[in-house]
Amino acid sequence: MKFTILFGGQAGQGPNILSILLGKALIERGYYVFMSRDYQSLIRGGHNFNVLTFSETPVYSNDSEIDLIVALDENTINKHKKELKQNGHIISGEGKGNMYFAGRLFKSLCLDFNVLEGQLKKLKERLEENLKEAREGYDEEKKTMCKVLINKNKLSFMNGNQGISDGAIKSGLDVYFAYPMTPATNVLGELAEKQIENNLIVLELESEIAVINAAIGSSITGAKTMIGTSGGGFDLMTESLSLTGIAEVPLVIYLASRPGPSTGVATYTAQGDLDMARYAGHGEFPRMIIAPGNPREAEELTSQAFYFSQKFGIPVIVLSDKHLAESVYSSDKEAKITSSKKMISLKRFNSYETDQFGCATEDAEQIKKNVEARLKKGKEIEKEAENFEGFKLHGKNSKNLIVSWGSPAGAILDAVEGLNVQFLQVLYLEPFPKKIKKELEGKNIILIENNATGQLGKLIAEKTGIFIEDKNKILKYDGRPFLADELKKEIKGRLK
Amino acid sequence: MTENLNTPIIPTWCPGCFNFQILAAVKSYINEEIKNGKKKDDFAIVSGIGCHAKIFDYVNLNGINTLHGRVLPTCLGMKVGNPNLNVIAFSGDGDAYAEGMEHLIHAARFNSNFKYFIHNNQVFALTVAQPTPTTEVGYKDKTTPLGVKTYPINPLKIMLAAGASFVARVYADKAQIEYVFKEAMKHKGFTFVEIIQPCIIFHPDKGYKEKTYSLEKEGHDKTNFDAAWKKANEFDYNGVDEKTKIPLGIFYQKEKPVFEDLHPQLVELKKKKISWKDIKR
Repeated sequence: MKFTILFGGQAGQGPNILSILLGKALIERGYYVFMSRDYQSLIRGGHNFNVLTFSETPVYSNDSEIDLIVALDENTINKHKKELKQNGHIISGEGKGNMYFAGRLFKSLCLDFNVLEGQLKKLKERLEENLKEAREGYDEEKKTMCKVLINKNKLSFMNGNQGISDGAIKSGLDVYFAYPMTPATNVLGELAEKQIENNLIVLELESEIAVINAAIGSSITGAKTMIGTSGGGFDLMTESLSLTGIAEVPLVIYLASRPGPSTGVATYTAQGDLDMARYAGHGEFPRMIIAPGNPREAEELTSQAFYFSQKFGIPVIVLSDKHLAESVYSSDKEAKITSSKKMISLKRFNSYETDQFGCATEDAEQIKKNVEARLKKGKEIEKEAENFEGFKLHGKNSKNLIVSWGSPAGAILDAVEGLNVQFLQVLYLEPFPKKIKKELEGKNIILIENNATGQLGKLIAEKTGIFIEDKNKILKYDGRPFLADELKKEIKGRLK
Repeated sequence: MTENLNTPIIPTWCPGCFNFQILAAVKSYINEEIKNGKKKDDFAIVSGIGCHAKIFDYVNLNGINTLHGRVLPTCLGMKVGNPNLNVIAFSGDGDAYAEGMEHLIHAARFNSNFKYFIHNNQVFALTVAQPTPTTEVGYKDKTTPLGVKTYPINPLKIMLAAGASFVARVYADKAQIEYVFKEAMKHKGFTFVEIIQPCIIFHPDKGYKEKTYSLEKEGHDKTNFDAAWKKANEFDYNGVDEKTKIPLGIFYQKEKPVFEDLHPQLVELKKKKISWKDIKR
């Protein structure tokens, strides 16, 4: 059974708080939960909504059809009633407090009042008022929508940004610099809150240019250093990305995408920055680009980013997007953290090509030697990367093969249930795993990406010579993530 | 104990360049510090891009010859990474006042304890003679055949307004530089030191030196902001005439909270005399 609830209202009314409240209660009852956020770039008013889907079995995305709408304002009903299933239900209440809705919601899901009370106690603030509002709603609700029971699953509940932050802390992060930019900002907040207890330092500087150069400064002293930004901020950093290439500075860069070009759509989602991550920075130098598809993978891949950046003295880009960064996922597995040593000590670093004394050189032989050393390092990284899971194969071997990367993995996993199709999720985009070519050969390949040009498709063509037919590309570029039921129809039409 | 601060590189500055004065002063200062018990690895050198930056190749210290305009955030990062490191940084006027102006203002705000020296020759020398933000009105080169139209900025006033805790200007003369070096190194916090360093090829001294005088000898009160502001106003960088006076020395010095002392994590590293590199997790 899969059940989907939409929480809508104005910014400031608290649809996000309500959905997290329920999400936590469901997690404690062993339900798998997935919750996405749709919010506008404003602070009060407008229309924000969260969609929460839960199930006894794993769920990683939302559907387009809604079972229950929690409408904190009239606008939510107008906007979303067309998505409501025939036997769906709307919880509304003009002028009612936030927790009134929680009361009605918990009752309609057959949750005991003391379950809600337990969650409200954890909020700490306004307990008495909250309980009063909640009780009023609870007593008023008459409709039973579904019966929430207790399952045995032991689950954690976190969003992609928390996965990145936890992964960094577990990898021994010392220094984090950032300039606020959605959707990477929450990592800055998460790490800042945890800096004292974990003995690390988190600083906000005057610009992304300052951020990456300060990071280079701290990294060359031996500190494990990470920075985070979105596309526009990353653009500003690219000259210095090239500096990390020549000076061999280890740096983990968290790049959380949103729709571009330019300011684009600030609080929505897209996977439009893979090309940028691959080609940013002048000159030729080795780098890595790795892309998690859920918060647990975000933890794991962040630790791998530290491992590779320290071992080879390179920039490693952990590529995510708003959908992964800010959606909340449940997980029944612990992340496998790759440990890494601090490999750098202060010596003579240089933005110029250098001789053996770390001094600038224009000598032809020396230049050639340095270039070839970087090429060789690229090969060594490729080899080392073969020891890691560069891609995942989900499901049984089939003549139909979906390929994708990053956040669409969630909707794909939910969509392929019952279909004759295997799913190849690419985790390492650079270096691109050689073994992927063999998996693709002779298959009916379906490409799924949250961008307009199929950037992974281009990468596959470049690396394997295999071109995916345009009619087999499922591309979404309206700022919204894939929804499992809609995606299923798209996939079905392309199966052989 | 002495250390060899030389590298095998033969300097490629023009013969007679004032940068040699700066180089000699820096080496002499560091050598003295080493004699007094400091180690070579207690120091780090940072430079940007331009003629000034070659100093990195001529002083055998750890550090980084970084990008144009990015010296300051790099230094801040090095102090965050290892607050016990003595970071000495050099920039040109292009570096400090054009490409890196944003960082200059924030460096004054952060007041991190590193030392900043600007070789101001009022010209982009290494790219062959283009004007910088401190070039005088009317200056002509191939890129400005109609002459520079905009009035130069006064970096000292910008630094005073931004809240810098140490603001000084000297002429590119070994003795003056050594003096200000010592004072800057003693200061707790960010030091802004501008060195008037005429470019003998593209922007020679057009009578600056004879217009200079010592603030110290005149009895200037460097703790007085208003007095510092007045002195900073005496020279506007827009050429010299019979009335021009160019004060040199420390314009302003005030003890202000130091960036590294405001973060408990860094205070702890300072106390234990370690860097993040030494933290095992």
